[in-house]
Order: sequence, then C-alpha cells, then structure tokens
Amino acid sequence: MNRDEGAMGNAEKYAKVDRDVLAALKRPGRAYLAGLAFAMLLAVMLHVLWAYQVRSGLGVVGKMHPVMWALYITNFVFWVGIAHSGTLISAVLFLFRARYRTSFNRAAEAMTVFALMVAGLFPLIHLGRSWVFYYLIPYPNQRQLWVNFRSPLVWDVFAVGTYFTVSLVFFYVGMIPDFAAAKQHVEGTRKRIYTALSLGWQGTQKEWRHYNMLYLFLAAFATPLVASVHSVVSWDFAMSIVPGWHTTIFAPYFVAGAILSGTAMVITLVVPMRKSLSLHAYITDDHFESIAKILLFTSLIVTYAYIVEFGLAWYGENVFERETFRYRLLGDYRYLTWTMLFCNSVVPLTLFARRLRRNTAFLFAVSLLVNVGMWLERFVIIVTSLSHDYDPYAWGIYKPTFVCLGVDIGSFGLFFMLFLLFVKNLPVLSISEIKEHL
Amino acid sequence: MTAFLEKKGGLAVLIAAAGALMAFVSLTPAGSGGSLLLAFLFFVAVVEGCVAAAAAGATVNARWVGAVRKELLSVTPLLLLAAFLLLLLIPFVDSYPWAGKPGIWLRKDFFIGRNLAFLLLAYVTARRFAAAPADGEGTKSRAAWYLLVFVVSQTLTAFDLVMSLEYPWISALLGGYFFIESIYGGFAVSALLCLRRSGTPPPDSAHGSRSDLSDLSILMFGFSIMWAGLFFAQYLTIWYGNLPEEVGFLARRLSASPLRELCVAVLFLLFFIPFPALLSTRAKSNPYAVSAAALSILSGILLERYVFLAPVVRLSPGALAIDFACLLLLFLAVVYKGSRGASLDA
Repeated sequence: MNRDEGAMGNAEKYAKVDRDVLAALKRPGRAYLAGLAFAMLLAVMLHVLWAYQVRSGLGVVGKMHPVMWALYITNFVFWVGIAHSGTLISAVLFLFRARYRTSFNRAAEAMTVFALMVAGLFPLIHLGRSWVFYYLIPYPNQRQLWVNFRSPLVWDVFAVGTYFTVSLVFFYVGMIPDFAAAKQHVEGTRKRIYTALSLGWQGTQKEWRHYNMLYLFLAAFATPLVASVHSVVSWDFAMSIVPGWHTTIFAPYFVAGAILSGTAMVITLVVPMRKSLSLHAYITDDHFESIAKILLFTSLIVTYAYIVEFGLAWYGENVFERETFRYRLLGDYRYLTWTMLFCNSVVPLTLFARRLRRNTAFLFAVSLLVNVGMWLERFVIIVTSLSHDYDPYAWGIYKPTFVCLGVDIGSFGLFFMLFLLFVKNLPVLSISEIKEHL
Repeated sequence: MTAFLEKKGGLAVLIAAAGALMAFVSLTPAGSGGSLLLAFLFFVAVVEGCVAAAAAGATVNARWVGAVRKELLSVTPLLLLAAFLLLLLIPFVDSYPWAGKPGIWLRKDFFIGRNLAFLLLAYVTARRFAAAPADGEGTKSRAAWYLLVFVVSQTLTAFDLVMSLEYPWISALLGGYFFIESIYGGFAVSALLCLRRSGTPPPDSAHGSRSDLSDLSILMFGFSIMWAGLFFAQYLTIWYGNLPEEVGFLARRLSASPLRELCVAVLFLLFFIPFPALLSTRAKSNPYAVSAAALSILSGILLERYVFLAPVVRLSPGALAIDFACLLLLFLAVVYKGSRGASLDA
C-alpha cells in the first residue's frame, strides 16, 4: 500500500476497489474482441461438426473396435477434472480461511461452471443418437424401462448433475453482494439485470449474517461433493475389469489429477486476466506463489499414483496388467505417455524453487504444460487400455479423424468463449471479500 | 516412575529394557512374530503419524502445532526402536507366501533392507525437523522432507509387510490408505495432547486453547470423511470387480464371525463415531466429544491392523499383551518427558 492509499479513508478505499474491479466491465478492446471472435469460431466449428456427425453417423469419428471410448470420453473426463478444482479451490480455501483465495475464487468458480457445461456435451456427442439422452435420466417407470442403477454411467449423471447445481448456486451466491455493488456503476439493460440478480441486496447486518451462513454451508457441502464426483468418474473405469482401469487407487488418483489440472487451468486463465485488466494490486505474486504450491503438491500426489500403478503392475502376477503398462511405456502411444509423465511429474518439480514459483511467466508456461499433460493422461488411460487388452486378436490402434479432433478443439473454443464473456459481464474478483480484507 | 524418567539416561534405559523384553518374547516359539508384527504396524503408524501431523501443520503455518509440537516430536527416538523391532521380524519373513521363491522385489534381504532404510531415513528426517526452531528458516523444507519419507515409509509398510502377506492379492490404494490413516492417528494423538496440556482453558487463549482443539477437531472430522472415501473406494472396486484374486481378501474377512463384526467395528470406530461426534461446532471444542473421537480413531487403527493380519497370521494373545504394554509405556514415557521439556523451556 502506498502513502496515498494509506491516507485514504475506508469509503475511498472501497470506492477504489469498486472502480478497479468493475473497470473490466467497460467497453472491450480490439484484442478482446479478436480473442472472443476466434473462440466463437471454434465453438461454431464444434456444433457444425457435431451436426455432421449426427447426419453421417458415428463412423466419421474413427471410433472402432476395440477403442470405442476415445477422444470424446477423454474430453469428458478432462473437462470434469477442470471443473473440479474450481469449487475445490474456492470452497476449501474459504474453509481454511486462506486470504489469497479472493484472487482466484471468482475465476475458479466461473471456470467450474463453464467446464461442466462443456463436459456435459461430450456424453451427448459420444452417444451418437444424442436425442435419446433421456434414457439416462431416472424418470418414473411409465415406459417399463428403468435405468441400470448398477451402471457407473448412471452414477455419473447423478454426480455431475448434483455437482453442477451446487457449483452454479455457489458461484451465484458469491456474486450477490457484488451485483449490488456493480449496479451502481453501470447503466441501461445491464443495470436492470444486475439489479434483478442482486435480489434487493442492501448490505444490512442481518443480510450479511444470513449470507455468511449460507456461503459457509455451501462451501462445506461442495467440498466432499467435489471428491465424490471425480471418484464416480474414476469408477466409470475402475468398475470394469479392463487392464489398466481396474485399480483401487483410481478414485483418489482421479481427484488429485482433477485438482492438478484445474489448478493449472486457473493459473492459465488468471495470469492473462491479471495482465489485461491491470489487477496486479489484487492478484499479487504472493498469491501466485501460494497457488503454485497447490500445483506442486497435487503433482506429487499424481506422481505417487503413477509410481504405484506402474510398480504394482510389475509386482503383481496379472500378465494382462503387466502387458498394458509395458505397452503404455513402450508401445504405440509411448510418446504420449512419456510426454504425460514429463508434463505432470517432472515440470512441476521446478516449483520447489521459490524464485520460479513467483515468476508468473514461468508459472503460466508450467500451467500450460500441465494442461497438456493432464489431457494426455486421460487419453493414455482410456486408449491404451482399450487398444491392447486381453485378446491379442482384438488389439488395434485408434486414430482420431478430423471430426473428432475438430470437436475436441471446438470444446476449448467454447470454454474460452464462455470465460471471455464472463470477464466482460460479471465482476472477476470478489469485491466484497477484497473490501473485507482491506 | 516419573522420578526414574527425570534421571539422565532414564528414558534410554527404559527403551533398552522394553526392546530386550520384546526381543525375548518374539524369539520364543509362542511369540511367532505375528504379534510383534501387529504391534509394530500400529506403533509405527502412530509414531510416524505424530511427527507427520506436526510436519504437516508446520508446512501450512497451522496455529495448533505450537501447543503440542514438542510432545509430538518427542516420539522421534521411538523410530529407532521401530527399526530394531523390524530386525526382530527377520525370522518371521520366512512365513510370507513368497518366501523362498525367486524374485527381485520380494526377496528377503531387499525386503528388510528397504523397509529398514526408510525407517532410519524417517528417523533422520524427523530428527532434523525436530531440531529446527518452530518458526525458523528451513523448518518448512525439513518438514516437507520428512513428509516425503513418511509417505514412502508408510507405503512400503502397507505393500510389503501387509499386502504381500496375501500375495498375489494387490490393492494399489493400500499405501495411500496407510499413510492417510497414520496422519489421521497423528491428529488424534495431537488432540489428546492438546486436551491434556490445556485442562479447561479460557476460550480464547493462544496455545492449548479450545480454538486449537477446534482446529484439530476439524482436521479429525475432515480426515474421517477422507478415510471413509478411501475405504469405500477400495471396498467398492474389489467388490464390484469380483475377480477371484482380489475378492478373496474381502471374503476372508467378511464371511465369518468374529472378523465380520470386527470389520463393522472398524467402520464405526474410524468413521461412524468420529463423524457425528465432531459434526457440530460446539462438539468440536467439547473435551469429552473430542477425547471420545480421538480414542475411537486410535482404537480403530489398531483394530484394523488386527483385521488385516488375523486371517493370515498366528497371533499370540500373551505376546501381543507384552508387546503392547511395552510400546504403550514407552510412548507415554517419551511424551511425558517431551512435555516436561516443553514446560521447562516455557
């Protein structure tokens, strides 16, 4: 804090926070518009290719025996993983009273909601006949057809659906006081929308008491939910007896991987956001150092899981398991496996150095590599196990087509489009919490 | 007894005497090694867990650590005793199902060697951490080093000493399960120490206060959920997969009394008691609720170790009683000594 800020009264400080954070809502620049246009283009590509796939059939995406779960399920797991860290960072750091959460929580919560929206598309795309998605929903039994509750895929519907609902509520509740602050600074339609969304918030003591109780409850509720959801996603694999999938460590391993990838994505989003919106006073290098420690910690857990998985495959007597893991390291997809290991286990080790943790450019590069590594991890788990399981007669290699790759790239476009829209339309930092810590 | 402990070298004499007695008991035919293994597994989990709790607290600047740091770290010398107990288990290794068969990982000398090495490394790193001032420079990195060694040590304990008893049964989660349980036990001991130190403190005093106790209660509460998650993840995967080489582990424990009831008791002691006991905010600072939860957790860990070993290892009640009496006595003695040191320093 400089001398001028020191001399400011509370009212002036609060007004400055409002001005600084809400400055993001002003008319966008050319770079923003170009980025948004590009992301929209990719999102449109996703939908066009999906339409093409619906018209032509699933054959155009290259899914063939034995690899019937390929890029789409890879993307589903990847985006669900990204979604997990958002609420976890926000809720857990809130429960632990970590002050640096105010720098990341809003972006992390937004990321959660958008990533879940993107993730939710993939089971639908993967179905082929997307319009019969309601077969998964456990509606009453009028048609004498009840969903299979013993299928982990149905558990997914419950788990991801519940998580999306809670994350959305958590995201929205956190913004109510900020909508009330933001409506003072905007005009026209936007003012009317913010006024409606602020639910008549006046900021009285009674309102704050109720608000804090609700927020604490949601944080406490969301935290175990996060762990349970990615555990359920991991059981999509672990409940089967496919080599490389059927392992007890999958649930905590997937949860740790989700936090790793989500934390990396938060860094990927917040570093450019801080620069472009000049939020250096609110998102400091100390905050980045703290979140880098989370990245390092979760990377160590994921590395532990890799060592245990590969080690036990070698240790055990199951020849199929051993062959699958040998294939991962030395088979057709070996470059992807080694890249995954490098990105997820080796690169984050550099964050043991404090100097590198505080270097945001370096941290941004690490986060990009971890994102790549975590996407590859999902791909390696899914594709190598299916392409090389029990029967050598049925072994095969999966090669994605342009439709599959286009949908995959398009999903990133959709995600970034939603995030860019968020940046210009909602408060990117929690104004009320920043004021609380002044 | 306390006067004896106050004497110079009193504690060392006590450790040596207890070690000698356990050596004698384990080398008699009635001892059979199984009882010593059970005592060893519980003892190592609690001792390493105590230091791990202090180390974890130090790395995140947890306030509660200040209240119990010295007592938690006073158990460090017991890691050397654990290394000695591991050596006493050498003859018992011959009864493992893989013994005598050719192998790289499962070979008696390498088996004992790696576990011994990591126990000694845990001792060295714990000692370095204990020697560092509570908030001095480098304390966090020493704590982090201990935690890394702790994870490997507990993982090896789980995979080698427990899982390989039923080779070729494997569970990749067992290593993680053990170190999480160990640190869970460490928090339980911390809570008991916090209570012992504080008596009935005013609500807002700095150390040993109810706020420290509340923090520890929150940790125990959180770990009860985590433990249940890990337990369920392991159980569900094995049960759902229903593979003969895996499901036998559950079948041996769930198909007949009294192990079936003991399995349910473990579930209660490690989750269904601590979770509701610590659910409310008020209970988290209630000494009776916290004591009950902490004792439940420690009993649960002990009982679970028993459930792991009972179907595959012969356990002698007499030897078990002597081993446990020795270890409990030593544990209380070092903690007492540590707390005396703490109060003198204060």
